[in-house]
Amino acid sequence: MSDLVHFEDVEVGQTHRFGRYEVTAKEIIEYARQFDPQPFHVDEEAGRQSHFGGLIASGWHTGAMLMRMVCESAIPGHATDGAVGFDDLKWLKPVRPGDVLSVENVVVEKIESRSRRDIGVVKIAGRVLSQTGEAVMSLTSLVLYRRRPGV
Amino acid sequence: MMYWEDFEPGQRFEMGEHTFTEEEIIAFARQFDPQPFHVDPRAAKESFFGGLIASGWHTCAIMMRISVEAMQRERAAGAGSPGIDSCRWLKPVRPGDTLTLKREILEAWPSRTKPIGFVRSRSEMVNQKGETVLAIVGITMLRRRPDTAA
Repeated sequence: MSDLVHFEDVEVGQTHRFGRYEVTAKEIIEYARQFDPQPFHVDEEAGRQSHFGGLIASGWHTGAMLMRMVCESAIPGHATDGAVGFDDLKWLKPVRPGDVLSVENVVVEKIESRSRRDIGVVKIAGRVLSQTGEAVMSLTSLVLYRRRPGV
Repeated sequence: MMYWEDFEPGQRFEMGEHTFTEEEIIAFARQFDPQPFHVDPRAAKESFFGGLIASGWHTCAIMMRISVEAMQRERAAGAGSPGIDSCRWLKPVRPGDTLTLKREILEAWPSRTKPIGFVRSRSEMVNQKGETVLAIVGITMLRRRPDTAA
């Protein structure tokens, strides 16, 4: 009997707060140079002159930071097999150097797979929060959980 | 310069391509998504996926780079994005795969309060076998042509 959290063990309404991610200008610029080289993501001066008023992180970088926190604190102990994708992602506020991010996840729905008896989809409403508790990004993730063998 | 006025529903664009290496798949995943099937070729072989695969967030990041480079080439007046309606990681992306970004404009509407407009589009990353590996429906904001903005 595995003590991992399986599909059957997840309950709608379960809430999990976790993670701590310190955002630095160096990492914002490094990520954006590789993946999102818009001026307000790669250049502090251009950021100051933009309508954001300073350097801000690529929205996809914030998604990657969320994934890092999920890998460190949400996946260990859980029988997950990756994710199908996500819905309703919103970039709500700019993420700036010095921000300290964390995550709040709420289970909103469980969907049994029609094609595979060994797996189910868990819908998780996630919010990335800043140090002031404001949500900077939100999304609904579709996570694959394995089912308990023989259930 | 391409402004919001230059985008219409039904337009299709092929925006560029990228070939994934094992080295970059592992480097991205070590930093942001260190699950065994993204960082460890041996563990990946034993996994459900049968080999090393790229993080879905890495595929999204490469999509973004192809998109930004195409917009900069065309001098499109991009003004960011409020978000994504849906994102599906449909097939694994493996070392050596070459993905092409294709985009279709679905809908365009102006802002009532600012000199910008919104464009909803469907973006697909398609591999060398013609399989769609990533499908995203999302919204982009663009500045309006200066002489037409209300």
